[in-house]
Amino acid sequence: MNFSLISLEIAVVILALGVLLGDLWTPAQHKRKLGYAAAAGLLLIFIFSIFARKELFPSGGTEILADYAFGKMFVVDGLATFFKQFFILAALFVIIMAAEFADRIKTGIAEFYSLILMALAGMLFASSANDFVLVFVALELITITFYILNSFQRNRISSLEAGIKYLILGAVSTAFFVFGLAFVFGISGTTNFSELHSLLSTNPVLGTQPLFLAGLFFIFVGLAFKLAAFPMQVWAPDVYQGSPAPATAFLAVGSKAAGIVLLLRVLFIAVPQVALEWTNLLIGIAAITILYGNLCAIPQRNLKRLMGYSSIANAGYLLLGFAALTRTGSSAVLYYLAGYLFTVIAAFTVIVLVTRQQDSDDITVLAGLGRRSPFLAAALTLAMVSLAGIPPLAGFFGKFLLLKAVVEQGASNTAYYVLVGVAIAGVVMSLYYYFGVIRAIYWSRDPNDLSPIAISIPTRLSLGVCMAGMLYLGVNPEPAIQLTKAAVKVLNIGI
Amino acid sequence: MSAADIFFYILAFLTVACGVMVVANPFSRNPVTSAMFLVLTIVFMAGLFILLNAFFLAAVQILVYAGAVIVLFLFVIMLLDLKEEERRKVKTIGAGLGTIAVGAIAFLIGRSILSYAKTLPPTELTLQGSTVALGRKLFTDYVLPFEILSLLLLVAMVGVILLSKKDLK
Repeated sequence: MNFSLISLEIAVVILALGVLLGDLWTPAQHKRKLGYAAAAGLLLIFIFSIFARKELFPSGGTEILADYAFGKMFVVDGLATFFKQFFILAALFVIIMAAEFADRIKTGIAEFYSLILMALAGMLFASSANDFVLVFVALELITITFYILNSFQRNRISSLEAGIKYLILGAVSTAFFVFGLAFVFGISGTTNFSELHSLLSTNPVLGTQPLFLAGLFFIFVGLAFKLAAFPMQVWAPDVYQGSPAPATAFLAVGSKAAGIVLLLRVLFIAVPQVALEWTNLLIGIAAITILYGNLCAIPQRNLKRLMGYSSIANAGYLLLGFAALTRTGSSAVLYYLAGYLFTVIAAFTVIVLVTRQQDSDDITVLAGLGRRSPFLAAALTLAMVSLAGIPPLAGFFGKFLLLKAVVEQGASNTAYYVLVGVAIAGVVMSLYYYFGVIRAIYWSRDPNDLSPIAISIPTRLSLGVCMAGMLYLGVNPEPAIQLTKAAVKVLNIGI
Repeated sequence: MSAADIFFYILAFLTVACGVMVVANPFSRNPVTSAMFLVLTIVFMAGLFILLNAFFLAAVQILVYAGAVIVLFLFVIMLLDLKEEERRKVKTIGAGLGTIAVGAIAFLIGRSILSYAKTLPPTELTLQGSTVALGRKLFTDYVLPFEILSLLLLVAMVGVILLSKKDLK
C-alpha cells in the first residue's frame, strides 16, 4: 500500500494533535499565537500539496490518473487534489481569522484551532472518498466538529441555539443519508463507487429499481444539508447568525465544498446513469434554492444572517452546474467555488474585525467604515461586488460559466431556459441586498466612533490574498479554467 | 408463512408501536416514559437482528444502546428535571405537518419496497455476521473508516469537555 497517498491527511491530523498538546505548554497570554503556528503549518502542507500534485500530473493534467488505496475505498485523482488544496487554503484563512477572533472566545482558543484542523481532516478524507462507508465517516467527522465549533461561544445564547439547531437538523440529514445508504447497499450489494458504476453499466435494470432510486434520493437529501440547498436549507440563516464568525466562514466555504465534492462523486462517478435521468429534479431544486435564498435575503438587516441566505442562493447557483449534467458544468462549479472561497473569506474577515468593538452583527456597524479603514471597506466592497456577479470579478465569471454550461444544454430540454431565467432573476434581486451593504459602508450617517481599526499583519496578508484572488480569477480566468477542466476529467459524464 | 415470518411480523409491529410511543405517547408526557419505550424499541430491534442471524449485532445493540446509552439518557433527563416538558402543549399544526411528512416518506418507501418484493426470488438466510468475519473486515477492508472514527471520538471528547466544564482557563 502506498502511504504517500494519505500523507496530507496524516500531516493535518498531526498538526491538530500538535496544537492540542502545544496548548498545555503555552502560557495563557500567548495562546492566541498558536493559531499563527497552525497557519504556518498549514501553509507548509499547502506547499507540499502543490508538489504532490505535480507528481500526480507530470504533464500538466492532460491524462486521467487515479491512485487507489485501502481496497479502492480511497482515491487520489484530479478532483481529490483540487479539493484538498481548496480545503487547506480555506482552513488556512479561517485559522488566521480565528486568531483575530480569539479575544471573543473566552475558553479554549487552542481547541478551537485544533477542531478547525480536525474538520479539515474530515474534508480531506471526504474529497478522496470512493466508498459510501468512508463518505459517511468523513461526513460525520465534519458535522460533529461543527456542532462544537458552532456552539463555541457558550456564554452567548445565540451561539448555543445555533449549535442545537445544527445538531438536530444534522442528525435528521444523517438519518436520511444512512437510510438511503441501506437501500442502495441492500439492492446493489456494494458501497464502492467504482463497483457501483460497473454494476450499473452491466445491469441497467438496477438503475430503474424504485428502492434503489429512493435510496439515492435520500443520500442526495443528506448531502443537500451540507450544501444548504433545498430541501435542507432552513438551518443556514439561524446557524450562520449565531455561530462564531470563523466557524460560520468555514461552514460557508469548507462544509459547502465538502458537500459539492461528495455530490460530484456520488452523482457523476458512482451513478452517472441515474443522474442523467434526474435532469428535471436537479433543475427544480436549483431553481427553488436560488429563489428561496435571494427572496429571503432582501429584508435582512443582520450581516451574518444575510450571508446565510446568500449562502443558500449560492448553493443554488452551484447546483446549476450539476443540472447541466456535463463536465463543462462541473468544471464551472469548481471555478465558482474557487472564487467563492476568496469572496466569503474576505467578507467574514472584515465582519470579524468590524464587530470587535460592538457586540452586534447589524448592518449599521458598517457605518463610517469607508473612513475608519479604507482597506477593510475596499475588501468588503470587492467581496459584495463579486458575490453580486459584477465584472470583472471572480463571481461574475463563475456565474457566466455556470449559465453558459446550462444554456449549452438548452436544446435537449426547454426547462433549462426557465432555469437560466430564474438564475438571472436571482442575480438581479441579489444586487439589491449586496449593494445595501456597500451603501452602509460609504453612504450612511457617520457614527460618533470614527477611530481607525487596527489590523494585524497576518490578517492584512490574508485579506490581500483574497482581494488579489478575486481580481485575478475574474481578469485572467484561463489558468484556473484549465485547472478545473483537468480536475473533472475523472467524472463519468459527457463533455 | 413460516415461524420466522410470524416472529418477524410480531417483532416489527412491536418495534414500530414502541417507536410511536416514544414520540407520541397519548397517556403520559413524561420524558422518562419515552426513554423506557426507547429501550423496548431497541430490544425488539435486536430481536429483528437475531432473525437475520446477526447475533453479534443483536448483542451489541442490547449492551451498548439498551444498556449504556439509555442509562445516559435517563441520567440526563433526571438531572435536568424536565417538568416543563410535561406541561407543554403539542401544537396542532406542527403535529399535523409532522404526520404528513412521515406519512409521505412511509408511502414512498412502502411503495418502493412492495414493487421490489414482487421481483425478488425467495432466498435462504445464511450466517454472515459472525464476530470473526466482522472483526476481520473491520481491520482489513474497513481499517481507514475505523481509524477515522477514533478521530471522531477524540473530537467528541474535546467538545464535551469544552461545552460542559464549569470554568475553563
